[in-house]
Amino acid sequence: MEILREYLPFLVPLIIAQLALGITAIVHVLKHPRYRFGNKPIWVLIVLFINIIGPVVYFVFGRGEDQ
Amino acid sequence: MRNYIAFTKKELLESIRTYRLLIMLLVFLIFGIMSPLAAKMMPEILSASMPEGMTISLAEPTAIDSWTQFFKNISQMGLIVTIIIFSGVLGTELSKGTLINLLTKGLSRNTVILSKFTGMAIIWTISYAAAFIVTLGYTVYLFPNDEVSNLLFSVFCLWLFGMFLLAVLLSASTLIKNNYGALLISGAVIVVLKLCNIVPNLQNYNPLLLATDNVSLLTKTVEVSSLSDAAAISIICSAMLIIASILIFRKRQL
Repeated sequence: MEILREYLPFLVPLIIAQLALGITAIVHVLKHPRYRFGNKPIWVLIVLFINIIGPVVYFVFGRGEDQ
Repeated sequence: MRNYIAFTKKELLESIRTYRLLIMLLVFLIFGIMSPLAAKMMPEILSASMPEGMTISLAEPTAIDSWTQFFKNISQMGLIVTIIIFSGVLGTELSKGTLINLLTKGLSRNTVILSKFTGMAIIWTISYAAAFIVTLGYTVYLFPNDEVSNLLFSVFCLWLFGMFLLAVLLSASTLIKNNYGALLISGAVIVVLKLCNIVPNLQNYNPLLLATDNVSLLTKTVEVSSLSDAAAISIICSAMLIIASILIFRKRQL
């Protein structure tokens, strides 16, 4: 517990940033069901479970055109 | 000039709408927070993973460790993410054909290339600065008594290397229509630079030096002056690459 309290000023912003990245990506995956390749379950898994790179890859390669 | 400002604004707006800016900022913020944390926690992680009864003596982590983590993260993952995010900077607009309207209405092709580069440079600078400021804050907070030398110059070197890579990416995407092609060429350039590093005479002039010698600069094992050649070469190469991309893009059929 002691250690956790010591690192709290790091962990809170770190977790917030990671969550923000993940949530933006997951909301986008669910709201825009058209992808350049792959399907919804695949992208949900990638975005949720691959740290940092998952959302980046989704926004750069997976995202379909908005129409 | 007005076209240039307008098109740069459009580039930045596009980066916000396509989440590029947000992703860059978040990823670099994560690296900025993670680096001092990893440095601070390293002894505990190591001792926790040691088998029972085994002891190793580890030096107390210092500010140098924190910056080592920072430069490692940014020069590897940070630059990879940057290149991936900007890989479609020219390609998507060409393949969608949205650029053709603007060009036929009198927007010059030079402006397009210059604005694209400015847009990428601004986003890279903002994200990198954010990571730097966060790491600086946490490092000072965690290791208040540690002295680090040449910090600003070291940080500037990695920034310059990033700009060089962006110039490589931009010229690659004027050469090749495909987004993946531009990525591939940028990767190939890094490999070539690494190969050049084998030749001892070339090492001092290699732009790659700017991304590898950062920590040595902080510990003063490398002098500031020894990096000036590499920095000069990077600036000259970046300028030449941008001019080359303008020339190629002028001739190119859309």
